[in-house]
Amino acid sequence: MSNALEVTNLTASIDDLEILRGVDLTVPFGEVHAVMGPNGSGKSTLCHALMGKDDYTVAGSARVDGTEILDMSIDERARAGLFEAFQYPTEIAGVTLDELTAAMAEANPADNGFTTRQEQTSELLGMGRFRDRFVNVGLSGGEKKRSEMYLMGVANPKIAILDEIDSGLDIDAVKQVAGMVEAMRSPDLGVLVITHYSRILRYMSVDKVHVMVKGRIVKSGGPEIAEELEGGGYAALQKQVASSK
Amino acid sequence: MTSASLIGANDAEWMTRIRSAAADRLADTPMPSEREEIWRYLDLGFDPAFDTAPTEAGSAGGADVLLDAWCGAVVDVVDGFVIGDHATVATAAEGEQKDVGDDLFSVAFDALSPGALLVDGALLGQPVFVDVQSTSDATTFPGVHVDVPKGADASVVVRMRSLTDAPAVVVPRITADVGDNARLSLTVIQDWNYQTRALGRAVIDVGRDAGLVLSEVGLGARLGRLHLDVNYRGDGSWGKIYGAYFGEEDQTLDYRYFMNHIGTNTRSDMFLKGAVEDEATSVFTGMIRIEETGRRTEAFQTNRNLVLSDGASAQSVPNLEILNNDVQCGHGSSVGPLDEDQKYYLMSRGLSSDTADRLQVRGFFAEALAEIPQTELEPHLRERILSKFLTAQEEGRL
Ligand SMILES: Nc1ncnc2c1ncn2[C@@H]1O[C@H](COP(=O)(O)OP(=O)(O)OP(=O)(O)O)[C@@H](O)[C@H]1O
Ligand SMILES: [Mg+2]
Repeated sequence: MSNALEVTNLTASIDDLEILRGVDLTVPFGEVHAVMGPNGSGKSTLCHALMGKDDYTVAGSARVDGTEILDMSIDERARAGLFEAFQYPTEIAGVTLDELTAAMAEANPADNGFTTRQEQTSELLGMGRFRDRFVNVGLSGGEKKRSEMYLMGVANPKIAILDEIDSGLDIDAVKQVAGMVEAMRSPDLGVLVITHYSRILRYMSVDKVHVMVKGRIVKSGGPEIAEELEGGGYAALQKQVASSK
Repeated sequence: MTSASLIGANDAEWMTRIRSAAADRLADTPMPSEREEIWRYLDLGFDPAFDTAPTEAGSAGGADVLLDAWCGAVVDVVDGFVIGDHATVATAAEGEQKDVGDDLFSVAFDALSPGALLVDGALLGQPVFVDVQSTSDATTFPGVHVDVPKGADASVVVRMRSLTDAPAVVVPRITADVGDNARLSLTVIQDWNYQTRALGRAVIDVGRDAGLVLSEVGLGARLGRLHLDVNYRGDGSWGKIYGAYFGEEDQTLDYRYFMNHIGTNTRSDMFLKGAVEDEATSVFTGMIRIEETGRRTEAFQTNRNLVLSDGASAQSVPNLEILNNDVQCGHGSSVGPLDEDQKYYLMSRGLSSDTADRLQVRGFFAEALAEIPQTELEPHLRERILSKFLTAQEEGRL
């Protein structure tokens, strides 16, 4: 059976700067994984390389539900089931959230459940008053994240990568986001949560934690890794990894 | 077709005097030069063909989607002639004629215009739509003068269109006086055919605590120019100036806007959005001029331009001339392609490249179009602007 996401030996660079240096990562359907790692280790780059952002030269393999996506355009990847919740969601003045979701619906004419899902997610996240506002314009940090979660619910992906979805959120909002990930957990979805804090992991159950340092996954294991990191930081872990080599 | 009845002050003694004085000067006035700052970037190598100015109006055109949407009065101005039982004036009452300058086209207007439509208290009880039409390749001089009485709230649309594909020269002039405590919502829709050269001039005086909301939508013309002066004469007067223009093929859209702050506590805000594709060119030069008397002026200008094809270009030139220190001014201007980050974001939501671009163009213009006071027209104008982009996309011109 195929996995929600299967990344093999993924490299990404900008000009001469090598950012991802061979990432291997598998998220099976039905599971929620976390990626942790220091600033600048390449977590957001992993998201963008998978999503197909122009800036990067990318090699290796990435499969969503068994289908190779690296040769696809950005929108094809999205329609193949990849969703990225952005660390810094882009503002689009003049285009309302409802206009955006209407265009998403049009891009997926065969998706019969779209409207129902949209209304349910909107209700769940209390998006009502944001839907006729311009996409991400004038939203607080937390509201932007909520809007991203809403779009995730609307898009109904096979693999959702949530880049620092908990950054800048107050504790109630973190619980809400975690609760939503829990609520969306299903045998048809894999989730990869990128985070700096073990905090969010307390409110949802993660199956696996991966630690990224300098463009590689240097350690994978159970949720206890998050607690270890909280204690010793990345420096201790890097030492540990180096000495075990 | 019904025959046009041409009524006006055409035979008034003072008007005849203005006319013949201008006619005398016309022969000695040269074509402006692109070397003059105010004509810079333009191709003026054409024959204004003033000798083709008609002596009567052609047949007025029929209704269209804008007129169908319109609730209010409609007045036709055809080939420069006011149709129907309406008063005309030169540009304002004698003695207070506005300073429109003495370039060739202003002089020619004074010499050859059959008189401007007077939109005043008698007409302004309801919103007024002035349907300015050109029916041939003749050079014409349509004029509209709006006189908003003290305390009144006026809504006027001036739409300019061609009824044929003929390459005409048109010299439109719009003048207005906004009385004390009054308000004028004036929307100009420039929709000439792509062969027509239109050299528009507008001068508006705003009285004490009076306000002007002026929106221009630039759709048509081979050369579509609007040289605008707004004089904030009255203390506490204000203006909001909006623009949305879209050039394609070999169109040149040219805006020279001057905000002249004369009274104290005056405010102006210019906000224009433009796009160009194919070989089109746009020019916006915005001048904020604050006189010594203009204490506590607040004046801002923003001009953003999308350049959608390699062959297209946009000039955006903000200027400030401040003779008083007790003021607040700001300007922003940009020229560039569609935003890459926005495109990435939209495509990451599953939208095709073309759909993402369309949504971005729509979003780009939304802020300016949303400010058009005559809201019933807005959807149609937005449609017209977007269809230019859509057609270019479909024809693979981008
Ligand atoms: N477009 C870019 N141009 C130049 N350098 C880049 C670009 N994108 C990423 N980088 C560099 O690649 C490295 C990884 O950046 P990335 O944003 O992936 O880190 P991150 O792990 O997400 O960090 P953070 O935890 O701070 O979000 C950094 O050194 C960054 O400066
Ligand atoms: Mg990051």
